[in-house]
Amino acid sequence: MLQRYWFGDLDEDGCCRAAGTDPAVLAERASGLRADMESYTPINWEVARDCGVVGTREEYIALLRSVCMIIARHKIARSYQERDVALLQMVRMLDELDNVINLLSERAAEWYQVTDPSFSRKYRSLPAKKMLEMIRRGADGGLAAVAGEIERLTEVRRRLMREVSAMADLVMPNVSALIGGLVAARLLSRAGGLAELARMPGSTIQVLGSEQALFSHLRGGSPPPKHGIIFQHRRVHNAPKEVRGRVARVLAAKLAIAARIDYYRGELVPSFIEGAQARIDEAGARA
Amino acid sequence: MIWIGNVLVSPGEAGVYGERTLDGYRVWDPYRSKLAALYALGGGIDLEPWMRVLYLGAANGTTVSHVADYVETVYAVEFAPRPMQDLLEVARRRKRIVPIMADASRPEEYAPFMEAVDLIYQDVAQPDQVEIAKRNLVFLKPGGRFILMLKTRSVDVRRDPAGVLEETLALLERHLEVVEARWLEPYHHDHAAIVCTRA
Repeated sequence: MLQRYWFGDLDEDGCCRAAGTDPAVLAERASGLRADMESYTPINWEVARDCGVVGTREEYIALLRSVCMIIARHKIARSYQERDVALLQMVRMLDELDNVINLLSERAAEWYQVTDPSFSRKYRSLPAKKMLEMIRRGADGGLAAVAGEIERLTEVRRRLMREVSAMADLVMPNVSALIGGLVAARLLSRAGGLAELARMPGSTIQVLGSEQALFSHLRGGSPPPKHGIIFQHRRVHNAPKEVRGRVARVLAAKLAIAARIDYYRGELVPSFIEGAQARIDEAGARA
Repeated sequence: MIWIGNVLVSPGEAGVYGERTLDGYRVWDPYRSKLAALYALGGGIDLEPWMRVLYLGAANGTTVSHVADYVETVYAVEFAPRPMQDLLEVARRRKRIVPIMADASRPEEYAPFMEAVDLIYQDVAQPDQVEIAKRNLVFLKPGGRFILMLKTRSVDVRRDPAGVLEETLALLERHLEVVEARWLEPYHHDHAAIVCTRA
């Protein structure tokens, strides 16, 4: 059997055909090689020497290292080129911004409360946006500056959210059509990529994001979670409690199909979306 | 293995991941590295200067860097791009490391780069760890050693770790001779080290 190695080919008579000594050329050739494990024998480095590729063991390892490093860098670059990788980072940044903004707003409110004795958030709905504006106007010094920065951060977040949504429509058109770009992106982030999401069963997608509840259920005792991230979709959280589980299950099942279409075909399929929407609505209708 | 008092160290250029140094040697922390934990507990196979090692699941290259301080060549296999970036940087400064970006469960992809090795060290967080070990045995010399770090929680979170170990040992014994199996408490929880020899 012909053995194909990174430095060249070796036929059954021990005849060697070297593939050159240029690392870039060797890497190009070697990255496509697949060994037949039935007949495979590991390399004897002396063969590479007798083949004229290298002179010493040190040279052998040095050349092999540079070839492997070139291949690895190519592979890394290729894996980052997938569009879902960028979306993944964007949505994670978005969630982190949410955390930070909430944390800072709460802290600013606490601080403002001690500077203004008549300030209280009780008995009136005070949206964060209004409150920050109030603090920025009412307070002075550091607190006003902080409130201004939080407002700016909120603006940044809004812009990023739009970007995420638009990107999700591109990367995963069918999932986004069913559940909205933002929630779609969050599912992607949880799954770790479109390939991963496409390989998930509906039942897993249904509980993505509620891992804590799921594992406490599996350990025994607690009831299983009905929904994770997909709860953020209006169809699920607006559904009456009795049918919410059913809606979540049907939606998740359709999302699993949508993710596969997105991954393997990559374009919007209106007929599928129509049918899926109808089925989800049907699940939401009271029996 | 080099010990200073009861501290395991390795010779080599320091500053790979902020490790401490002692008398010019790099401290190899058993709480960070499972292999170091195995040695700290008195087990394992001593790393020798003539050894060629296949390291499956190289991750960021922290443990790999220590192994490379002791042996002749380390073939370090890692699949994920992020840790691979770090591993490449470690390998750039350690000439004994051959970094290979590939899936340890698909040896056909990296076989064209491999020579026969004296030791295989496997630390992959996968459910089918024995299957991966089996597929890589083709690279192990007769009489060579195999160290498998079994993360029982990766096999099945819901199952009792001791049961997982027992089952893994039974599966392994079909292909290898098990020399030693021990838990890595108190350094790592629910992790067991299994040392084997290839007949």
